[in-house]
Amino acid sequence: MNRWLDRWLTLLLLALIGWAGWSCLHWLWRGADWTVVMTNLPLYAVGSYPEAERWRPLLCIAAVVVLIAITLFGPRQGGWRRAIPLLWSGMAPLGLWLLAGGLGLAPVGTQSWGGFSLTLLLTAGSGMLALPLGVLLALGRRSDLPVLRGSSTAYIELMRAVPLIAVLFFGQLLIPLFLPPGVELNRVLRAVLAFALFAAAYIAEDVRGGLQAIPPTQREAAMVLGLSPRQTLQLVVLPQAFRVALPSLTNQAVGLLQNTSLMAILGLVELLGISRSLLANPAFIGRYLEVYIWLAAVYWLACTAMALLARHLEIQLDPVRSAR
Amino acid sequence: MTIAIRATDLVKSYSPGLRALDGVSLDVTSGEVLVVMGPSGSGKSTLIRTFNGLETLDSGELDVLGVRLDAAHEERQVRAIRERVGMVFQQFNLFPHLSILDNITLAPIKVQKRAKAAAEQRAIELLDQMGIREQARKYPAQLSGGQQQRVAIARALALDPEVMLFDEPTSALDPERVKEVLDAMRQLAQGGMTMVVVTHELGFAREVADRVMFMDQGQVVETSDPQTFFSNAREERSRRFLSQMM
Repeated sequence: MNRWLDRWLTLLLLALIGWAGWSCLHWLWRGADWTVVMTNLPLYAVGSYPEAERWRPLLCIAAVVVLIAITLFGPRQGGWRRAIPLLWSGMAPLGLWLLAGGLGLAPVGTQSWGGFSLTLLLTAGSGMLALPLGVLLALGRRSDLPVLRGSSTAYIELMRAVPLIAVLFFGQLLIPLFLPPGVELNRVLRAVLAFALFAAAYIAEDVRGGLQAIPPTQREAAMVLGLSPRQTLQLVVLPQAFRVALPSLTNQAVGLLQNTSLMAILGLVELLGISRSLLANPAFIGRYLEVYIWLAAVYWLACTAMALLARHLEIQLDPVRSAR
Repeated sequence: MTIAIRATDLVKSYSPGLRALDGVSLDVTSGEVLVVMGPSGSGKSTLIRTFNGLETLDSGELDVLGVRLDAAHEERQVRAIRERVGMVFQQFNLFPHLSILDNITLAPIKVQKRAKAAAEQRAIELLDQMGIREQARKYPAQLSGGQQQRVAIARALALDPEVMLFDEPTSALDPERVKEVLDAMRQLAQGGMTMVVVTHELGFAREVADRVMFMDQGQVVETSDPQTFFSNAREERSRRFLSQMM
């Protein structure tokens, strides 16, 4: 009796899933009108960057993609392998120079930055500011000095209690007040700064988790060998703490990338901002599904690349696994 | 005969009213092997941890290789001592993120500013001496406990210390691994190293020790040569301890 019921239920469910899948595919191939995406690919990549200079953000994106490919699929040994960390650390200043100009390139103001290149820059910029700040906060929270410990804890708790969008608005309004008169920080920089201050609180807790996982005997063993407290931290404690914290830090990095979409509300035309402005264009009216599916695909691709990189790094940092 | 370590009336308590060290005095002469025995909680680990400043004193005077480490000692004083006093822990405490070779050369390179090549050559020599030369490129997690402990000994020796402290070096090992570590220590003692060894290994104490010190409740109960201690201990408390051990 029951077996018959099971069979029919299974068949019914299969049919439902098949029908749903088929109609999705059918819509994707036949029903959807992808002109909104296809005609605006340059816009998605670089925003309203001046036409003549578009090669710069495009080169920047290409360089990142190539670098990811080399890291993931490149040679496992030899000089190339050792050059990879160097290449990555050179990537950020190179990208910034390509986008902003100067030093022989025509300067381009941040108001014309946009699209995927802006999303990349926001993620990388705020991440690179937030990581050292987060490490300092984590160390501060574990410090023996009550003032340092108290203020680090207060900062972390405060930042975690406020929603990101509020921090971003505060950043736009408050950061100018702290600057001496005459100094202007543009919108992108203010957003990156506010974003970094926010993310640092979360990173601090991840790093603190890593620090707590390192037994105090490791510190003792280092001190007994005559290492100074600073050397102990740099050479023994932090490298191990980072290895422990890496999975949660990856989580933060992926979150960082996705949260850059909130900056569309501040009027930055990153991926989501571009999408919204396209949907407001009468030529593409009603093409919500196409635009948002495309958007989801781009974010998914970027996050997958990040996840792969993180897993690669995890294996690299695990001495026993990488030695095999 | 020079004195390597002279301790006078050391007092240390972790919580009020409970003294881990309750007026301990002793001399360790250069080239001597002193074995410290006693039940757990008797203060023997605390004692040798004061010798390189891992524990601070509440009162008393401590002179290690001519450097005073009393209650008010400073971090810099301690660091000067730590290069000259090697220590081996019960749990090995190797750095898991570094290869065996890097574990051993870390301090010589970073603290003593030796050249990398020279430090590595010395490390290989030490590993050879410990009988584990072929493990140099591996990582701690790939080694057995006995091998790890021998690396820890090599790591301490790499700084060319004048005194070696051993804090229950075989207590965390499988019985069949104990011998290889004790052999390495025996070899070290034969080379004339000044050693203070906290251990429960009666055989090692009997064979290698110049003197055996027995502690209980933060005090030195008796210090004797091994023959006297094991066959004819002076104090009733020592005899009771020994009868439980054997």
